[in-house]
Amino acid sequence: MDFQWIKVAYALLTLFIVLNYGLLMTAVIQKMGARAGRRYGIRVYQNYIDLLKNYVLRSKITHGYMYYLGPVFRLTGGIGLLLFVPTIYGSEMWANFSFSGDLILALYFVFFGTLGMALGAGESGHPLSALGVSRGLSQVTSAELPFAIAVFAVALQYQTLSVTEIVAAQQGGVMSWTLFTNPFAVAAAMLGFLGSMMRAPFDVVLAPQEIPIGPPTEFHSAYLALLQTNRNIFPVAKIVIYMNLFFGGAASWPVFGIKVFLLYLVSAFVGVAFPRFRVEQSVRFFLIWGVPLAIVGLYWV
Amino acid sequence: MVSAISIIAIGLGAAFLLGLMREGREALAHALTVLALGAMSAVAVGWLWLLGPGGAAVQEITTAGTMPPFAINLRVGLTEAVALVMITLAGLASALHMRAVLLRMGRRAMAVLLIAVMALAGIVMTRDLFNLFVFFELAAISTGGMVLLSDDEDALGAGFKYMIVAQIVSILLLIGIIFAYHATGSLNIDDMGGLAAMGGGAALAVFLVVAALVLETKPFPANGWALDIYQAAHPGFSAILSAGTGTAALIAVDKFAGAGGAALAPVLTGLGLLTFVAANLLGLAQTNDRRLLGYSSVAQTGLILAVIGQREALGESYLLIAGGLLVGHAIAKAGLFWLSGLVKGRDLTDWATLRRSPLLVFAMATFLAMLLGLPPFPGFYAKWALVHGLVASGGGALVALVLIGALIEAGYLLRWFGFTMKREASEAVASTPAELALVLAVALAGWGAGWIWGEVGPYENLLRAPALLLALAFLLLDWLPARVKNVAAIAALIGGFAASFASYDPLQMIFAAIIMPGGAVILLASFYEHGRRVGFYPSAMLMFAGMAMLIVAQSSFGFFAAWEVLTVGSYFLILRGKYSEPHALSYVLFSLGGAFAIMAGFALASGGMANFTMAALAQVPLTLAPWVFILLALGFMTKTAAIGLHIWLPGAHAEAETDVSPMVSGILLKAGLFGLMVLMLQMGSPSLYGVKLTYVLLWIGALTALIGNLIAAFQEDAKRLLAYSSIGQMGYAIFGIALMNHLGWLMALMFVINHYIYKSMLFLSVGGVAKRTGTRLMYKMGGLIALMPLSFIAVLIGIIAMSGVPPLSGFGGRWIFYNAIMESDARAPMIVIFLSGPIAFLYLFRLIHSIFLGQLKDENRRLREAPFWIVLPQMLYTAFLLVFAVVPGLALRRVDGYLSTIFPEHGLNWDGLTIRSDYGYWSPVSVMAVTVGIFASVLLLLVLLNHRAQKVKQFNIVYSAERPFRPETTHFAWNFFAPYRKALGFLLAPLATTFWDGVTGSLHGAADFLRRFYTGDGQHYAYHVLGFVLVLILIVGGGL
Repeated sequence: MDFQWIKVAYALLTLFIVLNYGLLMTAVIQKMGARAGRRYGIRVYQNYIDLLKNYVLRSKITHGYMYYLGPVFRLTGGIGLLLFVPTIYGSEMWANFSFSGDLILALYFVFFGTLGMALGAGESGHPLSALGVSRGLSQVTSAELPFAIAVFAVALQYQTLSVTEIVAAQQGGVMSWTLFTNPFAVAAAMLGFLGSMMRAPFDVVLAPQEIPIGPPTEFHSAYLALLQTNRNIFPVAKIVIYMNLFFGGAASWPVFGIKVFLLYLVSAFVGVAFPRFRVEQSVRFFLIWGVPLAIVGLYWV
Repeated sequence: MVSAISIIAIGLGAAFLLGLMREGREALAHALTVLALGAMSAVAVGWLWLLGPGGAAVQEITTAGTMPPFAINLRVGLTEAVALVMITLAGLASALHMRAVLLRMGRRAMAVLLIAVMALAGIVMTRDLFNLFVFFELAAISTGGMVLLSDDEDALGAGFKYMIVAQIVSILLLIGIIFAYHATGSLNIDDMGGLAAMGGGAALAVFLVVAALVLETKPFPANGWALDIYQAAHPGFSAILSAGTGTAALIAVDKFAGAGGAALAPVLTGLGLLTFVAANLLGLAQTNDRRLLGYSSVAQTGLILAVIGQREALGESYLLIAGGLLVGHAIAKAGLFWLSGLVKGRDLTDWATLRRSPLLVFAMATFLAMLLGLPPFPGFYAKWALVHGLVASGGGALVALVLIGALIEAGYLLRWFGFTMKREASEAVASTPAELALVLAVALAGWGAGWIWGEVGPYENLLRAPALLLALAFLLLDWLPARVKNVAAIAALIGGFAASFASYDPLQMIFAAIIMPGGAVILLASFYEHGRRVGFYPSAMLMFAGMAMLIVAQSSFGFFAAWEVLTVGSYFLILRGKYSEPHALSYVLFSLGGAFAIMAGFALASGGMANFTMAALAQVPLTLAPWVFILLALGFMTKTAAIGLHIWLPGAHAEAETDVSPMVSGILLKAGLFGLMVLMLQMGSPSLYGVKLTYVLLWIGALTALIGNLIAAFQEDAKRLLAYSSIGQMGYAIFGIALMNHLGWLMALMFVINHYIYKSMLFLSVGGVAKRTGTRLMYKMGGLIALMPLSFIAVLIGIIAMSGVPPLSGFGGRWIFYNAIMESDARAPMIVIFLSGPIAFLYLFRLIHSIFLGQLKDENRRLREAPFWIVLPQMLYTAFLLVFAVVPGLALRRVDGYLSTIFPEHGLNWDGLTIRSDYGYWSPVSVMAVTVGIFASVLLLLVLLNHRAQKVKQFNIVYSAERPFRPETTHFAWNFFAPYRKALGFLLAPLATTFWDGVTGSLHGAADFLRRFYTGDGQHYAYHVLGFVLVLILIVGGGL
């Protein structure tokens, strides 16, 4: 695995596929959520319209350098995460830039965008942005726990930190997926997954329905467009990691499409079925349910 | 050489001469007194010179032309000569010090002083038991007389009580002498060897004489009479009482100890240690300086009594120990009493007046260091030898008592020093040049004694250590402007590093690099300070010297001495902070406690050997190894502030000065890590009851990381936040070391470098901001990014590096960490360390957000960037972090290679740009390139779309169609992680603080209870003495 210039082209193509897939998939899932609530829901191409609208809006203000860079950090985090993890198993080209680092890189790169965005939101000076960051950090750091322990269990199980090798170890039928070889770790990780998807019951961070609370409060036009772009890439990038670690990875784009969709659907299902947690409730939830499951998973290995 | 008996003759003659003089010639009388005392001192010093360096034989002096036992004989050996010098010099110095009082009281008082000194000299020299009694009587009467010289209204009562008790003691002694004479037919002490075993009331004789002599040493609890004297007498005389009378009484006990036989040893030891511990405990409750010194004197005398009791066990080192303690105590106590004469008020806090005079502070620090047995003074060598000797003879419990007593003593003495340095000072102390010269001369005598003990003892002479001398040289330079000294200090650090560069192994090199060049970079910030900054440079250089000596120490003694030196230096340094008085005290007490554990550990490991190399730790027998390991690890972990031992750190680091915080956090903490590494390098991982001790350390490291990080997230004070974060970070490092594998150590060493850089940088940034805003409370800041952009960049880079987010160097540490734990089986502590990891994000974000982002406050609108000299080192660190992020191989590769010699398995492979472990891979350059590439592209896109973005004013935000009212209510910062606190606040219960508060509380409670014995009633005191004798009879009788 080494760098070749052609990889840049593949990376851009991956990005293009994932972005479009993300835009369509989130719209479909949002529609499904609306139908569950007896509403009609958005049009499937609505995300494109929103995105384009924001990219071309002309009202432009800034609160300072960090504010300006916040969305850049955020989107870099999303794209980087996607490209640092092999997308399609068995293909050197679709492994993108995963030669830069292993699972640990992906695990920590998640925070690159989070931190940058939090800083940008902070400089806007809006108290509700800061409040959102406070809630988001509290929640995400505790949601991260079951996930991190589960990841470690998986690494121990396969005795490697390389994502490619972890996927390789799960080949040979559904029953060799981590889901079945270490169900506790996967269960714990999936709880963590719910916590990081910004859907109910863990969506108090953004609370978009009532008042505009959350880190993006002050971001508009092109800034918001970057954030929206990221909202369609980042979850997919995260799901790719889950898919690779726990669900056998994807050897082709169609399999990729199906697995990503189904995994995303999990959070949507939970989201429409449960009411919202307060932050301290979600922190306790992850510690009481997520962490013990993860620990069982760790000792299971 | 003049016969030593002339000391007595001169004293007696001069006293008679004074009696013949006319009234009104006080000045002449005083001159005569001083002359006589000078002559006595000269004879004593002459004999010390002859017997010590001259190597002359012990001098026997016979009287009346007849041999003993038919006439009295005197003897002067080395011990006696030392005692004589102390007694006569104390007399001389006191006569000078008390000149005004003596002139007022007249020639009779001077005669009494002469008699007192003469009598004490007689007690030291005489070999005749009855003569001893006579000299004791003379000493008692003259003491009673001298007490009356004081202006203190309690002096009369104190003198009277003293006389009552002195008579009881005399009666006991006299009856004892009668029985001794009956049993042996002789009054000569030399004929009484083995007296206890003879018949005819010999046992009773021994008992009575010993009881009387021991009572002269003022044992607990029969010592209220003596304490009243210390409190009420003129300090000049208290100095004699402490330095002279105590010494004489101890010499008398030592002389007679042979007569008591083996049965006496445990009695003396027990009484001595009881007194040592109890008197120190009582010292805790004192607020009157002289009474406190009295208790300290009683305690030290008790310790020496115990040493006399252990004479056989200590063997060859007996003289070194007893002498070291005796001389150290005499010099220090005399000096402190004379100092107390310069201080007007009697409360301990009144000593703050000394602060205006750096020389007097230097003297006080010297005296306290001597009392506490800190290097390079005689007590240090003595304590080391004592602990080793006791351990060698199986006296582990005795060691524990000695160390506990010493720690309590350190508690009240250093609390007092804290008062002196930090409390309100009303006016400068009014001292004449002569008084100042006297005190300084005594302090210098202390340093001289330190040199002598270093030379004659079997250990290295610390005053020959170049690093220490270099640091002490800064004492002499202290009159220079701070900036000149700063240049000198930086030059010294760089020069020291350059000089030893070639001799370091890679492990030492890492630590040396952060100590010396690293220290120099931090010192750049000190250029900001103006004026002379008295005391800063000697303290800082002392700390650096200790660190530099520590990493190259070959012997356990050298290691321990270096440890103490760096502790002392850093204590003075921390104490400089404006509000750091209690925190510095807590720091130094934990450090000294840790140091004692280390000393006990080394003593146990060496089996009492004087010269024990660090490498020999590997050969410690298996039965002892775990205990040695525990003691040493405990000691080292007080420095790294492991959980339970951590409560000193937040205050000490937060309250320290701006440039001191990075030193004590970025550099000093590493001393503990170095100790742990050396320990495990030599001893590996011993097991106790089947539990691997490194496994316990894993737990300690993990819990420390968790609690440190968690508490940090809830701090409002920026420096406290960083301080708690240090606790957490050190937990990680301990965890890494305790993994005992290649990558664990690599991670720990990377932590050593990284933590130095980002913690120094953050402390400087925050310190600079605090200097400008005048507060450390983050919620009072906010929005400073535009005003202090450089500080912001430093904090930004610092927190990215610290949180481990790629692409900066902190990620390397995390990556190695994950690889390291892949090899370990210890999963439970691993889970705890996982819990603590993400919490770092919480406090780091809070740090940068609450200070630099959010809403700018009105009072801060005119602030400027932090001072240039404080920003400069931050920028250097920033540049280094960025370089280190791309090419971590610069440092890592060499260390990795070195670690392969210790842990050959599971190292890293350096494969072009990619670093590979057994489990994963990491390519720092690629990570950086990809990240920068994506970031630049996205930024370009945004700039294209949004290049005309207009900067709006502070309150121009989406606010439900309202305008925010004021920044204070709009800046969301206070109690930032409220939900987190709701969920996990229960983990913050201050268990450790409660525990240690309980410990100190019960000690104070015990002290308050014990002091009820001391009613101040002479009758009670007499009962105490009688009761003491009665109990002694029961104990000895029961034992016989």
